[in-house]
Amino acid sequence: MTGRRHIVAVVFLVGLILAGTLSVAQTPPPLEVQVSLNRDTIGMDEQALLEVIVQGATQDIPDPRMPTLPMFEIFSQGRSTNISYSNGQLDASVTHRYLILPSKPGVFPIENISVVSGNKRYSGNPVTLTVVGKSTSASRQTEDQARDTEGNSRDLFAEAIIDNDNPYVNQQVTLTLKLYIAVQTYGSPSLVEPITTGFWTELLGTRGPYQQRLNNRTYRIIERKYAIFPTKTGELSIGRATFTSTVATKRQNRRRDPFDIFGMLGGGQEVQVKSRPLTINVKPLPMEGRPADFSGTIGRFTFKATPTKREIEVNQPVSVNFAITGVGNIKSVAEPTIPDLSDFRVYRASSNESISKHNDQIGGTKNFEEVFIPNRPGQLTIPSLSFNFFDPQAERYRTVHTQAINLNVIKTEGYVASPDLPYSAPDNVISADARDIRYIKSDPGDLSRRAEVVFVNPLYWVVNVTPVLALLATVLVRRRRERLQGDIGYARARRASKAARQRLVQARKLASEGDSSQYFAEISQVLLSFIGDKLNLSPHGLTNDKIAQLLQERGAEPSLIETTLEFLKRCDFARYAPASIGKSDIEETLVKAENLMVRMEEVRF
Amino acid sequence: MRGLIVIVSMCVFFASVSSGVTPEEQFHQGNDYFEARHFDSARQAYNQVIAQDMQSASLYFNMGNACFRSGDLGYAILYYLKAQRLDPSDTDIISNLDFARRFTSVQMEGVALNPVRSLFESIVEPYQLSTLAWISSAAFLLFFGFLITRFGFGYRNSIVRAGIYNSLFLLLVVATLTMMKYDNDYLTKRAVVISETAEVYTGPSDLSDKELDAAPGLIVEILSESGDFYNVLFENKRRGWIKKDLVAVV
Repeated sequence: MTGRRHIVAVVFLVGLILAGTLSVAQTPPPLEVQVSLNRDTIGMDEQALLEVIVQGATQDIPDPRMPTLPMFEIFSQGRSTNISYSNGQLDASVTHRYLILPSKPGVFPIENISVVSGNKRYSGNPVTLTVVGKSTSASRQTEDQARDTEGNSRDLFAEAIIDNDNPYVNQQVTLTLKLYIAVQTYGSPSLVEPITTGFWTELLGTRGPYQQRLNNRTYRIIERKYAIFPTKTGELSIGRATFTSTVATKRQNRRRDPFDIFGMLGGGQEVQVKSRPLTINVKPLPMEGRPADFSGTIGRFTFKATPTKREIEVNQPVSVNFAITGVGNIKSVAEPTIPDLSDFRVYRASSNESISKHNDQIGGTKNFEEVFIPNRPGQLTIPSLSFNFFDPQAERYRTVHTQAINLNVIKTEGYVASPDLPYSAPDNVISADARDIRYIKSDPGDLSRRAEVVFVNPLYWVVNVTPVLALLATVLVRRRRERLQGDIGYARARRASKAARQRLVQARKLASEGDSSQYFAEISQVLLSFIGDKLNLSPHGLTNDKIAQLLQERGAEPSLIETTLEFLKRCDFARYAPASIGKSDIEETLVKAENLMVRMEEVRF
Repeated sequence: MRGLIVIVSMCVFFASVSSGVTPEEQFHQGNDYFEARHFDSARQAYNQVIAQDMQSASLYFNMGNACFRSGDLGYAILYYLKAQRLDPSDTDIISNLDFARRFTSVQMEGVALNPVRSLFESIVEPYQLSTLAWISSAAFLLFFGFLITRFGFGYRNSIVRAGIYNSLFLLLVVATLTMMKYDNDYLTKRAVVISETAEVYTGPSDLSDKELDAAPGLIVEILSESGDFYNVLFENKRRGWIKKDLVAVV
């Protein structure tokens, strides 16, 4: 027993040792550290983005250890993680981003960025950042605005700048609105745009936030640019732009809110800053050298005409695209004037414009699609068209021309010269993309008087009512048949009349044979059978009293009951005293029997 | 020249009336004029047939062509629409209507408000109302045939039951399509702008504000009328009032 305990203890110990050995042997997978800069050289007022990527086959990737870099201000810009499984293999990478702001010029190596994992250090590659002394210094005006009246630097201020304060009318002026922020703010600032009466305005874009140093203070700058086109001459003003931002308030004089764990709640104060108003002196376009057909377009443009084809049949359309491309207010470009052309009919098909905003300049292309239909065959020419504009840089008017377009117009079979009418060949070609109307029809078709709508056609109603009637009829027939099969009384009552009439025919034969006794017996039996069938009773048990009672119960008229009983008595009498019966009595009895049965049909049995 | 053509046409008309020319012969006469490029005379000849209360898809089609060639876009589209109502599947009519409508100086894109209705309309478009009505009748007969088999003759098997349900479904579908076609072709009143200048107002009066400028060839739906004005709905769903004499009812 003791020996067994020893064995268990030894096995347990061995297990522990093996487990420890295995855990030591399972060292963390190796890591790789990559360091990169988005720029090698920056100015003093610029910034660089440092990226540190740590990669490895583990999810447990440690944060990098940054070396001391006293020549820079470093701000973490966050991290992003990317994990992927491929063929059962884990591959993870964490990217850390840092914003680097230089504090002095020089060449600075950035090295020894490392991560430590499993008692092992993994160092990244060294990079070097060169900081040049010159900086894109802010304008004197901006620096002045950055100070308040007492000379202290402002936490927040707005600036409006124009690139040209003496433009020509309809020439682009770029308006830049900037918000400078040197303190912590919450949320995005809002902007009330300046009043720009007398300008046509187009937003160019928003930039930022980016950073700039002013008066030894780092500002974050949000910038918005507009292309504004003065629409009249003279002095025009641009109003104030108003930025509103929530600025973090200083805490020293504020009682700390016990629920404000992170010091974030209610710590903002709304601050409004306004830019200075601007004045622009817009000058008119010079009269000197102004073309007679000048349409007022300013900028620099090219003019090009492109036909869809150069060989066409007479009276078939050819589309020509006139494209005016360049820099300037493309929306104001007017349609080129096409002179009267004797060889063509011209239709304007469409126009469209695409606006571009490259290098803060509004420009683009305006396309005019014109359709030319040649009136006659031969070598025809769409002449060169011209387009005038004023070039503000050269300060003179320019005219650009399209190339003349030569078209080979083919004469088609059946062509008859007719300058004022579109032409269509009799051999009409069916095509989805029709170029002309299809030719007249030679067959008049079903030439008839105007027909009424089909719903008032009697045949239509006959066709539609017939199945309804047919359904009703078949259902009724079926029900009757089923009742005749299942209800004997009903069947006897329904067949009573027919059976009685058949027997009356038999009785008539007996009368003709001179057997009056049998005749009256049969007549009596016919009537009794008729009443029995109607009442679903055996005729043998019907006495005169019972007949009277039953007919009375069924609501028969008293006269009918009386006549019936009298008739039966008469028949009985005649059976036993045939000598007293004449031929006229036989006929009369037959008629009476039929009349009685007809009257009884009216009784509801 | 145009006056001469009119005089010639009038002479032809009276001559034809006095000599008892048949509508078919007048139709062919119109075709002869068309081929000789005397489009106004062709219109006169076709009009004489129409004035006799005669109609056919070919007659309206040729009339539309004559109107188009003589530069009367509004009437061209009007007659193509009339032709299309009589023969909706004729590709020549569809093609010419489509082609002529490209020449309207104001283009109004149709607005598809109800996709289900649009689907149904696209299904019924190629068919005449009478065709759909007779198809409905056939479905009605089939449905009642199954009902008679079931309730008249008492057959109760699964084929008859399935026949009743399927034929009822078929009947409902074709009847809906037929009613939609009837609504589209007969209950909905359409017109075409025929005047070169056609101002559309916000109310049934010249003194109302101008809503828009219509152009010849635009197709409108007549919603109501008041005095000399129609309240019309354009294909882009804009509404307004237009003088009755500026449009022609299809």
